[in-house]
Amino acid sequence: MIRLCVEVENKLGLHARAASKLVQLASRFSSDVYLSREGANQRIDSKSILGVLMLAASKGTCLAVFIDGRDEMEAGEAIKRLFRSKFGEKE
Amino acid sequence: MKAKQEKEFLGEGVSPGVVFGQALKLDKRNRAILKMHVDDVEQEARRLLDAIEQSKEQLSVLKCRLEEKIGSEHSVILDTHILILEDPTLQAEILDCIRKKHANSEWAVMQAMNRIVRAYESLEDAYFREKHNDIEDALERVIANLSGDSPFSWSNLPGDLIIVSRDFHPSAFATMDLHKVRGLVLELGGRTSHTAIISRGLRLPAVMGIRDIFPSTSTGDALLVNGDDGQVILNPTQKRMQRMRGRIEAFGTTAAYVLEKSGQTTLTRDGTPVSLRANTELPYELEAAKRCGAEGIGLFRSELLFFGHPQGLPSVQEQLRVYSKLVREMKPHPVAVRTLDAGSEKLFDGEDFPGQYNSAMGLRGIRLSLKAKDMFRSQIEAILRSGSEGNVEIVLPMISTVEEIRQARSLISEVRDSVRKTSKSRLRKVPVGAMIEVPAAVFALEVLAREADFLCVGTNDLIQYMLAVDRENPHVAYLFQPLHPTVLQCLARIADVAAKLKKPARICGEISSNPFFAVLLLGLGYTQLSMNPLSIPAIRRVLHEVSIDDSRMIADQALTFSTAREVCSYLTHAVSELVKADLGHYVREISVPDEMS
Repeated sequence: MIRLCVEVENKLGLHARAASKLVQLASRFSSDVYLSREGANQRIDSKSILGVLMLAASKGTCLAVFIDGRDEMEAGEAIKRLFRSKFGEKE
Repeated sequence: MKAKQEKEFLGEGVSPGVVFGQALKLDKRNRAILKMHVDDVEQEARRLLDAIEQSKEQLSVLKCRLEEKIGSEHSVILDTHILILEDPTLQAEILDCIRKKHANSEWAVMQAMNRIVRAYESLEDAYFREKHNDIEDALERVIANLSGDSPFSWSNLPGDLIIVSRDFHPSAFATMDLHKVRGLVLELGGRTSHTAIISRGLRLPAVMGIRDIFPSTSTGDALLVNGDDGQVILNPTQKRMQRMRGRIEAFGTTAAYVLEKSGQTTLTRDGTPVSLRANTELPYELEAAKRCGAEGIGLFRSELLFFGHPQGLPSVQEQLRVYSKLVREMKPHPVAVRTLDAGSEKLFDGEDFPGQYNSAMGLRGIRLSLKAKDMFRSQIEAILRSGSEGNVEIVLPMISTVEEIRQARSLISEVRDSVRKTSKSRLRKVPVGAMIEVPAAVFALEVLAREADFLCVGTNDLIQYMLAVDRENPHVAYLFQPLHPTVLQCLARIADVAAKLKKPARICGEISSNPFFAVLLLGLGYTQLSMNPLSIPAIRRVLHEVSIDDSRMIADQALTFSTAREVCSYLTHAVSELVKADLGHYVREISVPDEMS
């Protein structure tokens, strides 16, 4: 299992469009991918759009990502890249 | 079993009375989702997954179409809907409910939806809080695919139901069993909504604008609805029930009783007949008109036949079908079809009639009909031919000069002659009336009325033109005053001229559905009122209690005041003294807003 930290950098936060991209990406990997707000106990499944939206993560929110499975390294890289690219949004 | 917790909700009481019953939740399409026991849970699970697949396919098709039209930027929202339907935790939750509770899929989806909506509504961030709308949209699609579009059957339901919904479309009144419904509780809406007006007419206690009641209630929960105070109690305690028993018994009857009691004809206290007719537009309103005992359709608005028509304009056959059905179903009562009353910008490209900016004063109504003659001819042909089914009338909108009546009548004769020749069918004589809604028509009435068979007073437009107020403009909406002394003078003049020339005059504006105004109109001399069909029973009840002499006295007095505010305060006081029922809820419809003070 790996654990990494990402920050929501795009202006609109993890809103519907960004959340959809994250769910679509996470669903491509066989590993389990869980998210939680920094410091919070509750983990949500990042393949669940309803869970990701419930995080209500606005710009500047730090999230912990837990990935467990065969392709965890690859998944971790891809997720980091998505957050860093600000979900491909023009600001 | 532990007694359920009592919970109080506050909203706006829009229709008075106190009733007790069990909740019947209706979804956005006003369908009930009831819990049913299923034996084969695996088959039910497959039914759910099939409906989810079907919903996803529909969304993909929609997405493609949207992308072709406006590009992929905006179709992303449909991606979110698809992801919601694919959500593994959501699917697991619904399947779990089906398997553990032997529940039907519709109910299981509804339960999950309620839980999620409650969870989202607790979020602080407004953007994410609003996301529950997308979740509801997506899941409602699944429910629609599960149960098809068939309305549920009222016959299987118990009585004493309180309808709980987010919003309630007035059309649902026409199909619901009024013997079984005792009250209405909505998250949206308010006192001036159409649904509120109808609830008052049906004596159906109603509270609107209650946040969060929908997800907090389940079908079958006990509900106490207090329409007087705008209060709703979920699972009321025995103690509270004892306290309220007197008020519940005092209210008594169901809406169906009101309809049956109100009968099919209207007589004032001294036995003068008044003809109450229906203004209709949508198909369900015909059903409502029949149920409420309308003595005819006083105004059928034909615009919907024309708007958004795939071939540009509707054919004679198409129109004939619609008018014939109305005439046949209302027989022996008359049906007045108003010819198209729309601005050219709604029907034609700008190139046909360029330069149309102010539609209210532009090329519309009879003005457009006399320019687009072929369109007018086909509408006239359809109306004339529908006369073979019963009793039909033609009403010409926006008449401002007598030439317009003359030209229209000559076109009507032309069409009649040509139909006679080609079809050899006998056409009955169809009366032709003029809408009186332009100030010029009020002052030229002696001339106009001689050339028309009857008059229809379009109060909404008349008030707007007379007072030069666009009621859609919030800055001046307070000046839209139906009780403005000038408006009353106009209405009095129209009634007097019509009586002198022995031409029937009918009020066709929503204002006649207000009981205070209806008494005033009666006193001014109008014995034909046309209104929203579902308002008819309430107006009928009020007029039963008022004599012609009472109403004349009130009208004479009302004409002596110099402001709408004075008229309003006199009128509400004078009518309330004559009528037993509490009319307090209708005062706001005619009162003058505070911007004036």
